[in-house]
Amino acid sequence: MARIQLEGVTRRYDRTTAINKLSLDVMDNEFFVLFGPAGAGKTTTLKCIAGSEFPQEGLVKIDGKIVNLVEPSDRNVSMVFENYALYPHLSVYDNIAFPLRSKLYRKSEAEIKAAIDKIAKLMRIDMLYERKPSQLSNGQRQRVAIGRCLVRTPNVFLMDEPLAHLDAKLKHTMRTELKEMQSAFNTTTIYVTHDYMEAMSLADRIAVLDKGEIRQLGTAKEMYYTPASEFVAKLFGEPEINILPGSYSVEDGQGWVSLLDGVRYPVPADVAAALADAPSRELDVGLRGNDIAFSFEKADGWIPGTVYANEPIGNKVIMTVSVAGNHLRLVAPNDTQARMDSTVYIQPNYNNALYFDRASEKFITRHDIEGVLSYHHGSKGKGGNA
Amino acid sequence: MAILKLNNVYKRYDNASGSPFKKKVKNDFAVNNLSFECRDGEFLGILGPSGCGKSTTLRMIAGLEQITDGDIYIGDVRINNLLPKDRNIGLAFEDYALYPPLKIYDNLAFNLRAKHVPEAEIRESVERIAKLMKVDDLLDMKPLALSGGQKQRVNIARALVRKPGLLLLDEPLSHLDGKMRQQLRYEIKRMHHEIQCTTIIVTHDQMEAMSLADRIAIMDMGKLQQIGTPLEVYDDPVNVFVAGFIGEPPMNLMTSVIHRVDGGFVFTFEGSDLRIPVPVRYNEIVSDGMKVTLGVRPVDVLIARDDEPSGTPIPVAIYEDLGDERRISVRVGENLMNLTTADAIYYERGDLVSLKFNAEKTHLFDINTGERIRAPKK
Repeated sequence: MARIQLEGVTRRYDRTTAINKLSLDVMDNEFFVLFGPAGAGKTTTLKCIAGSEFPQEGLVKIDGKIVNLVEPSDRNVSMVFENYALYPHLSVYDNIAFPLRSKLYRKSEAEIKAAIDKIAKLMRIDMLYERKPSQLSNGQRQRVAIGRCLVRTPNVFLMDEPLAHLDAKLKHTMRTELKEMQSAFNTTTIYVTHDYMEAMSLADRIAVLDKGEIRQLGTAKEMYYTPASEFVAKLFGEPEINILPGSYSVEDGQGWVSLLDGVRYPVPADVAAALADAPSRELDVGLRGNDIAFSFEKADGWIPGTVYANEPIGNKVIMTVSVAGNHLRLVAPNDTQARMDSTVYIQPNYNNALYFDRASEKFITRHDIEGVLSYHHGSKGKGGNA
Repeated sequence: MAILKLNNVYKRYDNASGSPFKKKVKNDFAVNNLSFECRDGEFLGILGPSGCGKSTTLRMIAGLEQITDGDIYIGDVRINNLLPKDRNIGLAFEDYALYPPLKIYDNLAFNLRAKHVPEAEIRESVERIAKLMKVDDLLDMKPLALSGGQKQRVNIARALVRKPGLLLLDEPLSHLDGKMRQQLRYEIKRMHHEIQCTTIIVTHDQMEAMSLADRIAIMDMGKLQQIGTPLEVYDDPVNVFVAGFIGEPPMNLMTSVIHRVDGGFVFTFEGSDLRIPVPVRYNEIVSDGMKVTLGVRPVDVLIARDDEPSGTPIPVAIYEDLGDERRISVRVGENLMNLTTADAIYYERGDLVSLKFNAEKTHLFDINTGERIRAPKK
């Protein structure tokens, strides 16, 4: 258990800068996710904390102590890699026991047994003690690898894309299992991923990294409902958010947004107030696919377009609609049949529109920020331990 | 344009090469009694896990593999013994195999030049196809300067330039990253809509097959499991394999023992107190003590209102807010049962929920064979 701080950390390789003056403050016991596209500097950040990379500038602190010059083995960090790195010749039990038997943490075999039993039960691997890694499924291997890290009490638990090379089905199962085990980790965890669902599901807080810098730091809800920029908005949600050029104007005290060649709608007061203070009247409007309704019947005030493509993906259909030269992707029910090039009418839910400055692509505002960031509890009562 | 027909096609690889290191393969037919027909202008997906025989099938159609037994027809012509070049097929593989020293224009023109088509005609067809695949502004560039998505567009364009009767695509999107894949996916769909060329795509990605194909042939262990429209294979799977393979997040598949209670039947689960009513339409075919595999998709597990008949209250094990939707999982014995909802509700771990199933979308499968058990038709 420890607080992890990075202060102005820079790591350069030859000509490229992997991370640039990065500062982070991860709280004790927090589950913290580093999220971003390939090459963002996520793994480099993790390695600087683990001690396997040395930053050229800046400080790495564990519980307030500067550890830049502390050997990895003396930092008491525990790391899970994408390719589990289990010892192939050792049984599951001996794999998990390995760190406890090392010189650094040497414990009596009875103590080791008690510690392993506790963790193995939690990870549902207590029936696999005798097996070798080659006799395990991918999911089991991963649980053993995590178990091996959990068995001692590290300052911080570092996980580098532990689900990245599982197939889609197993990834789903393992993500939910990891989420379930999370409360048992009882230690600070820093988790690297490029999968937005993993980030949203697991994180207490997320740092979105790009080109070695933090683009946004906050909760999953903040990333989804109030992304700091178009870049962040595009990373969360599937299909990718639609970004449409628009503009803001005021008539008789009422604020209006125009987009899509002649579509105009009035904006609520909170949005109008923020747009009035914006650096420019030129906006980009972000609309998510599930905030756009559609109809094949002509409807008053709805925007006409044509079906550009229609992709059934199981529990929903992603329809691409061509309107005034823009392609809008919207989510339709899974039995929607749409002929390509047929006419369709759409109606966005403007209450969920996100407004960005056109030039800087930075977030300006949206409607009811406080409301969308709060929780709507649906429970009927508390049960036993799940 | 062409109709493609496979009649009882088999493929067995000769593994008896004397190598002591080669394992004896359990299922020695890579493709086992495969028959299907691809209609004129249809977009057909061949979908399955790795090793299911889908690529072997494609390679037999293209003429890159010998057919062990059975017949393949394009139109009325039996093509078993035709050379690949005589089958009038366009082929695009996962890796692009563009000629690096040649400009994109020359890459596209390559095959036509080999056939001594006049340059004017070549220019006309290259420009037409380049426009269709949105590579018309890349024609003067070399492959090295292109992104993965652009290379794959060129690759498909090159297959199309020859005006093939049949276009074969082998995992065309699997090298590309998420965003690029999404975009090229609907561009390929669009391309097919515009030229209506009979097209077969081989993929292991169910979402790709669902979104692109008019119909999907699902294969496992060399055998055809089911062929149907995306909605058919999603809503009406013939067996446990198809049910589990199609759909993301995957269908909940759980072993259940059915018990008779007052006024009907309930599903019960080993190691759990959970009881959920069996849909009434199954009453005629289920019995007390019957063991089945129960299949229900996460979107069809619903949180019941107070006034509805529902299962025993059960604590939430996992709550995930993914922005677009919320996913909730409960522990049923050793397994997790998942449900997804678009509603903006929030639960904490341990909160009690009462569940029910969407009756029309609750499937039963034979516990041994995995075949679907259907309710009697009304």
